[in-house]
Amino acid sequence: MGDEAQTTSTTVSKEITSQPNQDELILAQQRQIEKEISDSTTLVGELEPISSLNNEYSSDEVYLDKVKDLGEKYKFIRRTRPDGNCFFRAFSYANIERLLSKKEDYNEFYRISEESKDVLVSLGFQQFTVEDFYDTYMEVLKKLKNIENLDEAHKELHTTFNEQGFSDYMVVYLRLLTSGQLQKDQDFYSCFIEGDRTVTDFCHQEVEPMYKESDHIHIIAACAALNTGVRVIYMDRGTEKSCTAHDLPEGCSPTVHLLYRPGHYDILYL
Amino acid sequence: MSLSAKYNMKSPGVKRLMREAMELANPTEEYYACPLDDNLFEWHFTVRGPPGTEFEGGCYHGRILLPSQYPMQPPNIILLTPNGRFEVNKKICLSISGHHPESWQPSWSIRTALLALIAFMPTSAAGTIGSLDYTAEERQLLARKSTNWECATCGRASERLTAAGGSPELTQEESSLLKQIALKAEEDTNRKEPNVEQKEDSPSSQTNRENPEIRQRVIPSTNDVDSSLNTADSLLQDSVDRTNKDKMWAVVIWLLLSIIILLLIRRLFFL
Repeated sequence: MGDEAQTTSTTVSKEITSQPNQDELILAQQRQIEKEISDSTTLVGELEPISSLNNEYSSDEVYLDKVKDLGEKYKFIRRTRPDGNCFFRAFSYANIERLLSKKEDYNEFYRISEESKDVLVSLGFQQFTVEDFYDTYMEVLKKLKNIENLDEAHKELHTTFNEQGFSDYMVVYLRLLTSGQLQKDQDFYSCFIEGDRTVTDFCHQEVEPMYKESDHIHIIAACAALNTGVRVIYMDRGTEKSCTAHDLPEGCSPTVHLLYRPGHYDILYL
Repeated sequence: MSLSAKYNMKSPGVKRLMREAMELANPTEEYYACPLDDNLFEWHFTVRGPPGTEFEGGCYHGRILLPSQYPMQPPNIILLTPNGRFEVNKKICLSISGHHPESWQPSWSIRTALLALIAFMPTSAAGTIGSLDYTAEERQLLARKSTNWECATCGRASERLTAAGGSPELTQEESSLLKQIALKAEEDTNRKEPNVEQKEDSPSSQTNRENPEIRQRVIPSTNDVDSSLNTADSLLQDSVDRTNKDKMWAVVIWLLLSIIILLLIRRLFFL
């Protein structure tokens, strides 16, 4: 009797100790996948013709029709790394890129960005860490502001966004701005949040952590935070021949164009 | 400064760690942490056991390992001082540290991680990674011993904290965050309920394993605290011995009983 009890308890404790190993295995595999993705795709790619999408769908009629349709509206695509941050990275990049050629708009954007830290701190964000991201964000914007030659500015933007440290800091700050926007207009946004989460909970769980994917609500808040509009072109397995376009917020004149394929955003150019 | 020669001071991650090192440079009553002299990505810390719990009076020392992607990825915490709540020399499971990267936020910091660790100590272990289910008495004993514990690089850990006052106020976000963590632990407890019961018998064997290690680590000294610790130590050993003896007696009694029953059966049916 006693022996039996002891053997069961040892098998149970073996099971218990094997659980962490399972966890660690899952984590290791996850890291492996992340590494493969980061080795094969740059954070923000070079301009490529729309037709480059054909290689991905060589035997898929539904998608080929849509790529053709897309090619009639847009000239280029710029791919981003599918790491869950793609919307924020693509949006931040495309928005700054278009502003580079419009000095006045850029200065206005710079001014709003300068004030953004105080807004976030007043909303209850931790001053110490917000400052850290804000400083790097402004450092990048300032550097770009001071480059006179447009080509050089574009090159600098591209290099900065492909340096993991800086690129991620730009993403984090846009995430914070988005979270700030959601919390500032809680009453409005709370209607769009599923489950019984508060807007603040939602921000802590879905907006502020890195690698969390973006939904409509993220996009609308991010647009409001940067005071601009986005057109998202949806390309999925739907049977219609053309892609559907959505302007966010509705009725805006979009300045940034993004291609959405399930789970991922890339930048489009007219 | 040698650090500026060694690290790319332009890298946001390095800048961030330098900034955190400055913020945490002055010890507080509850925690102290600083990077190693030769490695900005490894820190040592000391936290005080939360008052009103079985960790009261304890000073716990450990390492913080920072991933190269910090602050995009969470710090890993490893405790070195035996404490009865977390295994030593093992990355521990805290909902904000390395084992749950999905819930870490870059706007949290080493300070947040330490506050979370302190808040997390009194919560139930419930079989999570790196957790221990010691009894309150064992933990109190370890808390008392911890003040004498010395780290090979930092010296006596308890001397690294200030005696009183000086800990900065929690911000609103931090206090709500700490509540979040407690909640998380609660959920974990519910989910892992079935294991708790079965684990019940393991602490005694764990104590047995841990004990020699604990004793090695107590620094031999002549002050009188030590003698009380030694008696407490033998008490702990006694209680372990007693449970072992109890088990033996139970086996003997069962044996005798079954022999008597066998004899009775023989008497009733065969004669």
